[in-house]
Amino acid sequence: MTLGATTDDVLRTIGRPGRAYAAAVAGLLAVLAVAAAAFAHQVGSGLGVAGYQPPILWGVYITNFVFWIGITHSGTLISAVLFLFRARWRTGVARASEAMTVFAIMTGALFPIIHLGRPWVFYWLMPYPNARELWVNFRSPIIWDLFAIMTYLTVSVVFLYIGLLPDIATARDRIRDWRRHVYRLLALGWSGSDREWHHYRSLYGLLAALAVPLAVSVHSVVSWDFATTLLPGWHSTIFGPYFVAGAIFSGVAMMITLLAPMRTLLGLERYMQIRHFDNLGKLLLVLSLVMTYAYGMEFFVAWYSGNPFEQGAYWARLTGPYAPLTWTMLACNSAVPLVLIARRVRTYLPALFAVAIVVNVGMWLERYVIVVSSLAREFDPANWTGLYDPTWVEWAITAGSFALFGLLFLLFVKLFPPIAMHEIKEQAEAA
Amino acid sequence: MAGGAQRSPANAGAVGPDAPLTRTVGRRIFLKVLGSAAPAAAAAACAPLPAEQIIPYVVPPEDVVPGVAAWYATVCGECPAGCGMLVRTREGRAVKVEGNPEHPLNRGALCIRGQAALQGLYNPDRFDGPRQRRRPGGDGPGDGLLEPVGWPAAQQLLVERLQAAREGGGPGRIAVVTPLLTGTLDRLVARWAAAVGARRLRYEPFAHEALRAASRAAFGLDAVPRYDFARPDLVVSFGADFLETWLSPVEHGRAFAEGRRRGGGLRTRLVQLEPRQSLTGAQADEWLALEPGTEGLVAAAMVHAIIAERRVLLPRAELGAAVRLFELVRDHAPEQVSGRTGVPAAAIRSLARRFADPAAGGGRTLAVGGGVAAGGAAATAVQIMVHLLNHVAGNTGATVAFDAPTGDGPAVPGSWSGAGTYRGLRALAADMEAGAIDVLLLHDVNPVHALPDGAGFAAALANVPTVVSTAACPDETAALADLVLPAHTPLEAWGDAEPAGGVRGLQQPAQRPLLDTRHLGDILLDAGRALGGEVAAALPPEGDFPALLRDEWRAAHAAAGGGDFEVFWADAQRRGGAFEPARTASVALRRAVIEAPLELDPGRGERPFTLVAYPSAHLYDGRGANRSWLQEVPDPLLKTTWSSWAELAPETARALGAEDGQLLHIESDHGAVDATLLVNPHLRPGVVAVPLGQGHTAYGRYASGRGVNAAALLDPRPEEAGGGPRWLGTPVDVAPRAVRRPVPRLQTTFDQDGRGIARAVTLEELAAGGPSAPAEEPFSLYPDHAHPEHRWGMAIDLDTCTGCNACVAACYAENNVPVLGADEMRRGRTMAWLRIERFVEDGPAGPDNRFVPMLCQHCDHAPCESVCPTYATYHTDEGLNAQIYNRCVGTRYCANNCPYKVRRFNWSEPEFPAPLDRQLNPDVTTRTVGVMEKCTFCVQRIREAQDGAQDAGRAPRDGEITPACAQTCAAQAIVFGDLNDPASRVSRLAADRRAYRVLESLNTRPAVTYLRKVRRA
Repeated sequence: MTLGATTDDVLRTIGRPGRAYAAAVAGLLAVLAVAAAAFAHQVGSGLGVAGYQPPILWGVYITNFVFWIGITHSGTLISAVLFLFRARWRTGVARASEAMTVFAIMTGALFPIIHLGRPWVFYWLMPYPNARELWVNFRSPIIWDLFAIMTYLTVSVVFLYIGLLPDIATARDRIRDWRRHVYRLLALGWSGSDREWHHYRSLYGLLAALAVPLAVSVHSVVSWDFATTLLPGWHSTIFGPYFVAGAIFSGVAMMITLLAPMRTLLGLERYMQIRHFDNLGKLLLVLSLVMTYAYGMEFFVAWYSGNPFEQGAYWARLTGPYAPLTWTMLACNSAVPLVLIARRVRTYLPALFAVAIVVNVGMWLERYVIVVSSLAREFDPANWTGLYDPTWVEWAITAGSFALFGLLFLLFVKLFPPIAMHEIKEQAEAA
Repeated sequence: MAGGAQRSPANAGAVGPDAPLTRTVGRRIFLKVLGSAAPAAAAAACAPLPAEQIIPYVVPPEDVVPGVAAWYATVCGECPAGCGMLVRTREGRAVKVEGNPEHPLNRGALCIRGQAALQGLYNPDRFDGPRQRRRPGGDGPGDGLLEPVGWPAAQQLLVERLQAAREGGGPGRIAVVTPLLTGTLDRLVARWAAAVGARRLRYEPFAHEALRAASRAAFGLDAVPRYDFARPDLVVSFGADFLETWLSPVEHGRAFAEGRRRGGGLRTRLVQLEPRQSLTGAQADEWLALEPGTEGLVAAAMVHAIIAERRVLLPRAELGAAVRLFELVRDHAPEQVSGRTGVPAAAIRSLARRFADPAAGGGRTLAVGGGVAAGGAAATAVQIMVHLLNHVAGNTGATVAFDAPTGDGPAVPGSWSGAGTYRGLRALAADMEAGAIDVLLLHDVNPVHALPDGAGFAAALANVPTVVSTAACPDETAALADLVLPAHTPLEAWGDAEPAGGVRGLQQPAQRPLLDTRHLGDILLDAGRALGGEVAAALPPEGDFPALLRDEWRAAHAAAGGGDFEVFWADAQRRGGAFEPARTASVALRRAVIEAPLELDPGRGERPFTLVAYPSAHLYDGRGANRSWLQEVPDPLLKTTWSSWAELAPETARALGAEDGQLLHIESDHGAVDATLLVNPHLRPGVVAVPLGQGHTAYGRYASGRGVNAAALLDPRPEEAGGGPRWLGTPVDVAPRAVRRPVPRLQTTFDQDGRGIARAVTLEELAAGGPSAPAEEPFSLYPDHAHPEHRWGMAIDLDTCTGCNACVAACYAENNVPVLGADEMRRGRTMAWLRIERFVEDGPAGPDNRFVPMLCQHCDHAPCESVCPTYATYHTDEGLNAQIYNRCVGTRYCANNCPYKVRRFNWSEPEFPAPLDRQLNPDVTTRTVGVMEKCTFCVQRIREAQDGAQDAGRAPRDGEITPACAQTCAAQAIVFGDLNDPASRVSRLAADRRAYRVLESLNTRPAVTYLRKVRRA
């Protein structure tokens, strides 16, 4: 295999899109339009059109927020951590996972705004100088969220972009249609000199080193939205690591969900090899075990605390109206991934893909159960209420978030090389 | 009344075609549609508001100072109890009603219905003027619709019809039905009716016929007694819901709380016997679910035990009566009746011993019977037996007293003497049916809905050529009228009320009539004068009703020999009436009553279940159903809203295989309804309980189409001896239907799961020195808030709180709390800043109900404050947890972190359909969609009192500041004040041995202290 063939292979994927691609984009745009209409309806009529049932004042939107921010951990973890550990198998999947990170943050960060009672004044959450000297409350975890997510988004975008730079330059040199102007602009005059490569390496390493603690911090901060409250079921010191582990778990699952079809559809079998998926499968298995441990600890600590509110909340989670969801979640996250012990499952892509889908569902449900069932059974039994029943508005907006994520990803793989060509070539040369 | 600001019509359309747009599309909505809106819309949104021309008062009205409230004393017209009321008006409109502290009956308190009187005034469905029905055969289209007509024409029509009836058929072809009016209006109606030769009936659905009949039989007085609930150590109530609808609930509530608060181990014990636990029964120390209709048997068994055990507390001269009395109850020994009544003989004996305790002396106890729960086929016999029970315990003349009658007859003023009976109304209906009535004038009554045989009454109305209704709001009866002459609502009308001996309440209008309505007195005066002849001669020759009222007061004042009338009149206007101590009659038991045998047991019917139709504390007989607050505020016991339902005991429901929320088909010999099942453990098995008051068909937008009318099921025959309706005891069949139709319900579990939300203590524990006052507050890492001047706080006594919801409605009225409606409530949404939580613990003597008013606790370490990203909620230096609505972005994080769940989110833009918007308190901001709100401790009232104190150059006094909830509480269970002042009442209560704070372990440091309920041992 020559280096030139690699370039050809990869650049072929960003060639003229076919019909299926156009249909997919159109479909996603349609879903997005429905979601936009639903949001417009919600803004016009008030948040009452969503299914909130006090005291359940947070629901699907916050679930989606936590879910999408969790997904972001694939990118930084796979790409940056494996980069720092010089795990060379990352090369095939790093680009896609970094892109996922950026798009998942962009999608997830919409939800805190969508869920506001008055989304048109969302910018009041940001500290900005103003004549009335109004300032934000830095004690509020929502402000911490804002900073954590904004920082994470910035670093992730820069990390993705820097990694893309040599490949953009390649595309600039090889692609002749209208996009070359874009590539020229984005390539920042990259010429491939030694000096440039030298700077590139140090910057990429630095960003990787910066991204890892950020990935840990961002989901810790998201978890503090819950952990710093008084609410039984939220108020827990394990939430930081628990949420980070869950985030990585869901991120890896989402990576498999996206990469497995991408490999086939874009014909990248040579670069995304089965051993890469085998490794991802192992990672998923380990993380599932970590999650099982965390679930066990959650319930154990609640029981061991002797605190009747804690015990009540967790007991209700297992036996109350949300019990079916809890048990489904446990099955998806703790039981089903155990099949990955078998190498045959890990290396058989359809099976691995199915497990990843199950984990995606399980992790969404986990967030839903944490957010909703805790609110449903808090301190005062007079407020306990029945099942929270999300309305079409919430489902439409949720579907819209998946459509947005998918759309951004689709556009990305057609605009930018989905695989880090330069790294593959580098490895090939080294080998 | 001239408005302060008017838009000149010349300017209204001057801005051009985009004027409506600029008026409706504000900046906010503009931002909402930002992105899709065209630049043109942007230009429109930025355009200046249309010019308004503001015309100031040229000659300002004397008593309208913009921004300052004017208060008018008047009388509550929501039920016959006649409580005194103060109406707060701002710029000429009534915005709030409160109890009149000088009124001897309610002394400052009001019930939930009184609080909702404003929604009668501002009801959006009111008639805006007279209406005439277009009948076939008339001049216009005969489509049967009500069409607007002018007052002169309407009055003329009335006169013509009256004239025709008088000339056509002789006397008695005209009938006038009013509620139980008292005072000048009642006398005018009586004079008028006599002059035109009309039958007159004072109709009340709850007219206490049996009690009055029993008083006639036992003491020769057609009266309900005056009961003293403050003095007795033991009250035994046979179904009397004396804290909800029975007689004078606010007066009773106040006295009952006094009795419970006496201290020193003295605390009124309440024993309630009824088939379904009422809100009054929920206060009972012992609650006994007896077989419906057997109240008389238990009372007789108590009399039997008292006499047999020689515990009779009668003067020596009357002891002979006891011997004869024993003959009457010979067959009703406790052991003999316990099987039929379901009350163990030992319980009856124990109760009898405590009821007549020679060691304690006579007059220390009280038995009351009545309400719907004692309204069965033997209701009068039950009431006679209760009178006798009181008599043998020496209570007659002590805790049971009668006001003195006016003359030699049995009539006693202010004691329901003149009220008609259900039988009387049935007789009228029969005459109507037979075509013997030509003109029927109905004022403020709705028999088509409230009567057991409402359909029969409706059919009879069809045979009356001219039905005239003076209803202010459309109702089922007015819907069948030929002529609607809408009368003022009580808040717009002059009048007076004599609801009890010595009490003359003066009813002043609180504002100019809202709509084109007239006073009933003026309608009658004008019609009578127009009729001429002897009718005109019998009426005052000139002057309107207010003049007549004044003349009557002047005459009464002169007769009493009091000085300057103008001084007296001004004083009466200020105080809300003239109040003197009542004169008590001395009564003796009539021999006849103990000689005639009494049929105490009506027996059981053919069908397997027994119906109990009970009145609702919110809706009364159904007249409250068109007030949205009364529908929205959850039922005090079952926490349901906007609906009616059918209750079964759990074992009965199980036997039927029916589940909560399922539809039940209930059928009696007289009708059938389908109602949603609510399983209620506090119900005698075999009983079906259905609330009265819902199931309206034409009572405005809030009432119509909600639930079912239980009256349709009832046996329409009047009770034999008293002539009242049989609310209880109709035999019914019940069959579950395979349809689920759950009713909106805001609290679904009454089990507090051992979490110590509602705590209690026994008298014995209190006597032994426990529990202790809240300990020193736990350690905190953070510096405490400084409260340099005041720290406002509240203490709520769970021992006297009855859970009656009056405070909740007061809060709605004071704080512009929007009403959401049934659909939103199905999702558990409510805007109430204050709610009453109910918890039930199983006790040795029946359920132990605890009611916890839950409102913002104004925590010193408020969990809501730290999580708000925009500082929309913060802590003031007076200890209030404040909410800045226009800084709120609506994350709802504060509500999630509030362990008390007292924060309310605006799910949609609040709506106040006109003219309900005129009730809005101008001192309180209305909120917008998407923001959080909650209790402010009525900060506007705090500021008002502080400003007043500052103007007077002093600090606010303890007790000067009362939030709306505390103000209206009949039991005075809520005390507000400054926790920084160690001498304030609230500070002392916060250090009481019964004091605790809800969820203390969270270290939120609430400013609200609860005092434990005192439980039976």
